[in-house]
Amino acid sequence: MTSAGLSSILPFALRGRPVAEPGKRRTTRLPPWLVSWFQVGPLALILVVVFALPTALFLIVSFYDYDRMGIYPAFLLDNYRELFTTPATWRVYASSLKFAVIVWAITLFLGFNISYFLIFHVRSAVIRTVLFLLCAIPFWTSGIIRTIAWIPFLGRNGAFNQMLMGLGITSHPLTFLLFSDFAVIVTYVHLFTLLMIGPIANSLSKIDPALMEAAVDAGASRWRTMVDVVIPLSKTGITLGSILVFTQVMGDYFVVRQMSGGQSASIVSMLSTQIQAMQYPPASANAMVLVIFVAVLVAVMMKVVDVRKELVK
Amino acid sequence: MDNRFDVELVSVTKRYGTTLAVDGISLRIPRGTYCCLLGPSGCGKTTTLRMIAGHEAVSDGDILIHGENVSDLPPIKRGTAMMFQSYALFPHMSCLDNVAFSLKMRGVAKKERHTRAREYLELVHMASFADRLPAQLSGGQQQRIALARALINRPRVLLLDEPLSALDPFLRIKVREELKRLQRELGITFIHVTHSQDEAMALADLMVVMEDGHIRQAAHPREVFEHPVSPFIAKFIGSHNVLRLNQGPVAVRADRCRLGSAEDGPHVHGQVIAVEYQGAMVRVAVKTDAGDEVSALVPDQMFYRKPAEPGDPATLVWAEQDTHALAEA
Amino acid sequence: MAAGRISDKRPWTFYALATLFGAFLLFLYGPMFVIYVLSFQGDNGGVTFPMVGFSLTWFKEIFQPGQMANIPVSFSRSIGLAAVVSGLTVVISVAAGLGFRRRFPGSGVLFYLAIASLVMPSLLVGFGIGLSFQFLGVEPGLFTSALGAQLTWTLPFGLFAMFAVVNRFNRSWEEAATDLGANAWQRLRHVTIPILLPGIIGVAMGAFTLSYDEYARTTLTIGTKNTLPLEIYALISSATSPTLFAIGTLTTGVSFLAITISLLLVLRMQRRRAFAKAG
Repeated sequence: MTSAGLSSILPFALRGRPVAEPGKRRTTRLPPWLVSWFQVGPLALILVVVFALPTALFLIVSFYDYDRMGIYPAFLLDNYRELFTTPATWRVYASSLKFAVIVWAITLFLGFNISYFLIFHVRSAVIRTVLFLLCAIPFWTSGIIRTIAWIPFLGRNGAFNQMLMGLGITSHPLTFLLFSDFAVIVTYVHLFTLLMIGPIANSLSKIDPALMEAAVDAGASRWRTMVDVVIPLSKTGITLGSILVFTQVMGDYFVVRQMSGGQSASIVSMLSTQIQAMQYPPASANAMVLVIFVAVLVAVMMKVVDVRKELVK
Repeated sequence: MDNRFDVELVSVTKRYGTTLAVDGISLRIPRGTYCCLLGPSGCGKTTTLRMIAGHEAVSDGDILIHGENVSDLPPIKRGTAMMFQSYALFPHMSCLDNVAFSLKMRGVAKKERHTRAREYLELVHMASFADRLPAQLSGGQQQRIALARALINRPRVLLLDEPLSALDPFLRIKVREELKRLQRELGITFIHVTHSQDEAMALADLMVVMEDGHIRQAAHPREVFEHPVSPFIAKFIGSHNVLRLNQGPVAVRADRCRLGSAEDGPHVHGQVIAVEYQGAMVRVAVKTDAGDEVSALVPDQMFYRKPAEPGDPATLVWAEQDTHALAEA
Repeated sequence: MAAGRISDKRPWTFYALATLFGAFLLFLYGPMFVIYVLSFQGDNGGVTFPMVGFSLTWFKEIFQPGQMANIPVSFSRSIGLAAVVSGLTVVISVAAGLGFRRRFPGSGVLFYLAIASLVMPSLLVGFGIGLSFQFLGVEPGLFTSALGAQLTWTLPFGLFAMFAVVNRFNRSWEEAATDLGANAWQRLRHVTIPILLPGIIGVAMGAFTLSYDEYARTTLTIGTKNTLPLEIYALISSATSPTLFAIGTLTTGVSFLAITISLLLVLRMQRRRAFAKAG
């Protein structure tokens, strides 16, 4: 063994014997946080310039004065006062919120069950990928086209009515299908369910199936396994999906205008009317209120789950 | 310049904020040594290895390789090469390209670097796998590729971070032999981080036991096993009973203990709490009256001449010369 | 997998969920299918059923500029803008994704800024930028204000996609590269980027389609030269002809082609290194 020769020069402690000048320490490498700053710098710069500053600008403009000729620097609360005292504002907020809640509930139900099916019931990875793609492909078609696609489908002489009549379910075409709240909700669900499926499926795919078997071993029913194991572990996905769907509906401007047949308005379409009339200060006040409303909603949802901790591991 | 040592650590310290990961350790590793850094998780062994490799900056102190202070040099200039715990083979490159990577970085022409890479694949008996991707190899094969990739730079010191932990037990013993063979053939120093005392015992010329960022003992494994300096070492390397006697803490090897009676020599009284059949030996675990858990490794024949059952009173005896005094913990 | 290890029979929930999934697919594709069919409407047909013959008239109309809208020109504008947006998004969000691997002072603020930018109602983003340009006295344009407005949407998307990609990236690959003598640039070029490539292609494709379909952020920031979605929107309010559906069929075809090609690329790469995760 080589050990025999080695034991004669076995090491000994040499604590405190300086070899190079101590104290002069390590300037060769950039500190890690500075490297990170270089890497995120462009992102930060762009978001500040094209997002934060313009937002700050309409905050300022929301206090301005205006008339038909132009807008004037001032600090007035009139724009806000007017906004809150108009019954239409409250009506539109209520209607948007109603749509948001209904659509959120439907997309959550669909999104969760479909994700669960794809992740835990589909056994072959290839089939799972194909089914996911089937869900995702329509997302790559323009939202405008997908919205108007419902018009020939739901209309009086539309495909759906013809089908119903062909099957003898109804004798005359149903008219509530198109240009109604029903049409708005159908279109939203069509547009936004994928926003639920994506994040939830991502969360579910990280759950070890052994956990569910363990729950069943411990005597949990299918239902209890779902409530006590699966749902808590997919909270991040549920939250992210909910945030996306909620904010999309609250910020919509096209679907309500196109599909409600003028029966409902959305906050943003109200706003865009003001913008087209060049009434920037009231439009800004309106925008500010919407921003705060959405921000509070999102903040509440993010309070439930620390999305950041889950995303940035 | 002192050339008898491959690696010297001089009061090397690593601080993360206010926590001390490595606390002023000093160590000299002679030429061509198989050195194992051993210790429980969080003892600072991996941090020490990464500081030697240059992947972690030294907060204080110096690292010398072949007498040259490398504390501020980038990894490639240190003459070290590292084999990562999960091998870190590049998944998008063939084995040949993985091995040839560092030559490519240095601008060596394709033909030459492939020729050299093939030589190193030969060395680890992986020449026939040159065109495979890492994903197509078993754990043991991946490890050899990682080894070849680390060796192609002709490092003066090879650093291995838990190299055997990803392998199954049978393979582990085989690869262990191979690592030792390679080290002897190449004649360079290997520094091998592990938490397994078996691994360290089997491989090391120099076993460095760490705890809480300190080196507790650094010696040949046989020296450590026969003369552990502290209760921690005795317990950590295993097969030792640590007892508190009147003269202070002592260590007695479990295989030198027997079940007997008080007249036979030094002894402690207690009660059998478990009996484990291990083939050639039987391990009898005893809880002493003082509350220590100790065990005797008894040859099977001797045990079955006078078997014991859990619950039986027992007296653990040993010979006077086997009592090894320890420093106070 | 969920339950039923003992017998190989599927639990009833499987059939219930499979039915739900099937119904969802019908729901998803039903109306799309209707417009695909109607886009081949005969010369004298309208925007609803019944079909009056079969023709390619409406597709031809797309390529005849001047009448109501200039589809080919706005299409090429959209493609150009989408390419620039996609390129910038990839570079910036890959760098930021790598930067976010460690905590740094300000990382929390930046993270929430990205979230805010993502959830901000789209039209308001355009409104803010349009207003800013007006204040600065600058004419809005395709590659200035419209580009900026789209980046507020694609960058957070790219960043969050990169989080998922980077989570699966094993740090020791980079350390191994350094250990083997790669400098920072070589490490990025030969190790980091190639390993992240499938994810990077995903971000590029995602950003491209987000930009290509974007309407609400662009409408107030584009100036006078419309992109395709704006042109389509203009058509909706002025025309009722199956041309609209033909455009829909065509754009779906184009997206589908682009997605298929990039997916095949990614799949090929992933097959080559199935173990990337285990690393």
